[in-house]
Amino acid sequence: MNTRLKVVRYHLLKKFDYLALPWAWTAFGFAVDLVIFAMIPVSHGYHQVLTAHGIVQVPNPPSSRDAGGLGGIVAVYFALGVLSIARGLPFAFALGVSRRSYYAGTALLGAVLAVGNGLAITGLQAIERATGGWGESVHIFRVPYVLDGPWYLTWLTSSVALALLFGWGMWYGIVYRRWSLPGTVTLTAAQVTVLVAAVLTITWSHAWAGTGRFFTALSAAGLTGLLAVLAAALLAGGYATIRRVTV
Amino acid sequence: MTAAITVTGLTRRYRGKLTLDHVSVGIEEGAVTGLLGRNGAGKTTLMRIIAGQEFASAGSVQVFGASPAENDRILRRMAFVREDQAYPDFKVGDALRAASWFYPNWSGELADSLMTDFALPRNRAVKKLSRGMRSALGIVIGLAARAEVTMLDEPYAGLDAVATQLFYDRLLADYAEHPRTILLSTHQVDEAAGLLERVVVMDQGRVVLDAAADDLRGAATRVSGPALAVAEFTAERQVWDRRRMGSQESAVVVGPLDGTDRRPARNPRLTLEPVSLQELVRYVGTRPAQDTRQRTIA
Repeated sequence: MNTRLKVVRYHLLKKFDYLALPWAWTAFGFAVDLVIFAMIPVSHGYHQVLTAHGIVQVPNPPSSRDAGGLGGIVAVYFALGVLSIARGLPFAFALGVSRRSYYAGTALLGAVLAVGNGLAITGLQAIERATGGWGESVHIFRVPYVLDGPWYLTWLTSSVALALLFGWGMWYGIVYRRWSLPGTVTLTAAQVTVLVAAVLTITWSHAWAGTGRFFTALSAAGLTGLLAVLAAALLAGGYATIRRVTV
Repeated sequence: MTAAITVTGLTRRYRGKLTLDHVSVGIEEGAVTGLLGRNGAGKTTLMRIIAGQEFASAGSVQVFGASPAENDRILRRMAFVREDQAYPDFKVGDALRAASWFYPNWSGELADSLMTDFALPRNRAVKKLSRGMRSALGIVIGLAARAEVTMLDEPYAGLDAVATQLFYDRLLADYAEHPRTILLSTHQVDEAAGLLERVVVMDQGRVVLDAAADDLRGAATRVSGPALAVAEFTAERQVWDRRRMGSQESAVVVGPLDGTDRRPARNPRLTLEPVSLQELVRYVGTRPAQDTRQRTIA
């Protein structure tokens, strides 16, 4: 068997962590969301608006019932990415796996899990739509703007997003292996610095309006493309970092 | 001698400190080589670089004629058991299953029988094992891998005397049936002495002795007796150690003794005893720096 596939198998010795944990956590978030939103009634109020035709009764816009239930899987994915490297690497080295094979195998695991779980999210979203938001008009697997299009876009976007998180976690895991806590703190600081630099650049070049237009005009497919580019950049960064890692 | 591992001019610097200082050594194929030396002599660093886990600052390592670094084809022919091996959150059984996938010559049968010998529980989490049991797990993996190059770094740390003896017995038995290149680093030189075919001694990042174990037996002799007689005996010979208590003296002389030296009639008041491998390593490993140029006996 190919060494990369053996690495996937090696990780899956922790089946519960990689297969069950994301969904155990999501199921918990789902239950909490349903309980909370069941307590908040769907509003059906009206308010009066003065128009050219006089005062008219206008129904209130439906209050947002977008729950954050998917946030759990996001956090678990990042954590799994970190652990896949930080925890699994030293013993894999002892078993004669090269850095390159370990990295490729781990990234493959992240990608396969992301595609599988993206499909599950797509299925749950379909159920959510069919049941009128689990009977409570709650949106747990439908995230406005991001996961709100046709099923194949939901699948694609959620898969890419999960893969991105896993890759991001992997990079943190590698940095932790190489430079421990000071390294991870520095990596975080570097990422914040990049964000701040972007914000300052936009502000100084008076480009906020343009930036706003860019994101409003960006379709879910465009956003997915953007996430994919980011995921590729993280993967390249992780590879550059793992090449000199030692145990 | 055909070398399975060839190390040339290997140097490793950590923050200005030389952990390995131009190490050049060949590890014989199909033999058991002892890698001996004090703590911090550079044994583990040397093995880590050979296993591709660490990088050299200068110099090169070749295993079966190719560099092992990032080379899956070579790495899968090597097993490296470390004293401080870190495991994922695995159960003992999971660690063995993983090892069985990666080593092409893995023997499940040998693993099972070693597990029984060391009384290792398959279902226990590795992190719940005692230090000795964890060492035993490393030994099971290292031996059952039957890797062409097997490196064991202080493999029995924390093992009791019975288990340590068990390790040597099982290693010897399996090695006899499946010869391979074994590099064993250890402090317990005399326990391993019967097993070692070659000995490499390191001190302060350098190889100070590289010899066939047979040539080392009798390579140095302790002479004790009246100080005058000892002085007469040791004149014109290289002496490593000299201790005096009152009128009695004992000295360690280097080099093989010839027949006339050994004849008790020559001086009945002198006692001659061979210096054990353990002592020899101690003497070689504690010489002043200018005296520790590589000695090659054999």
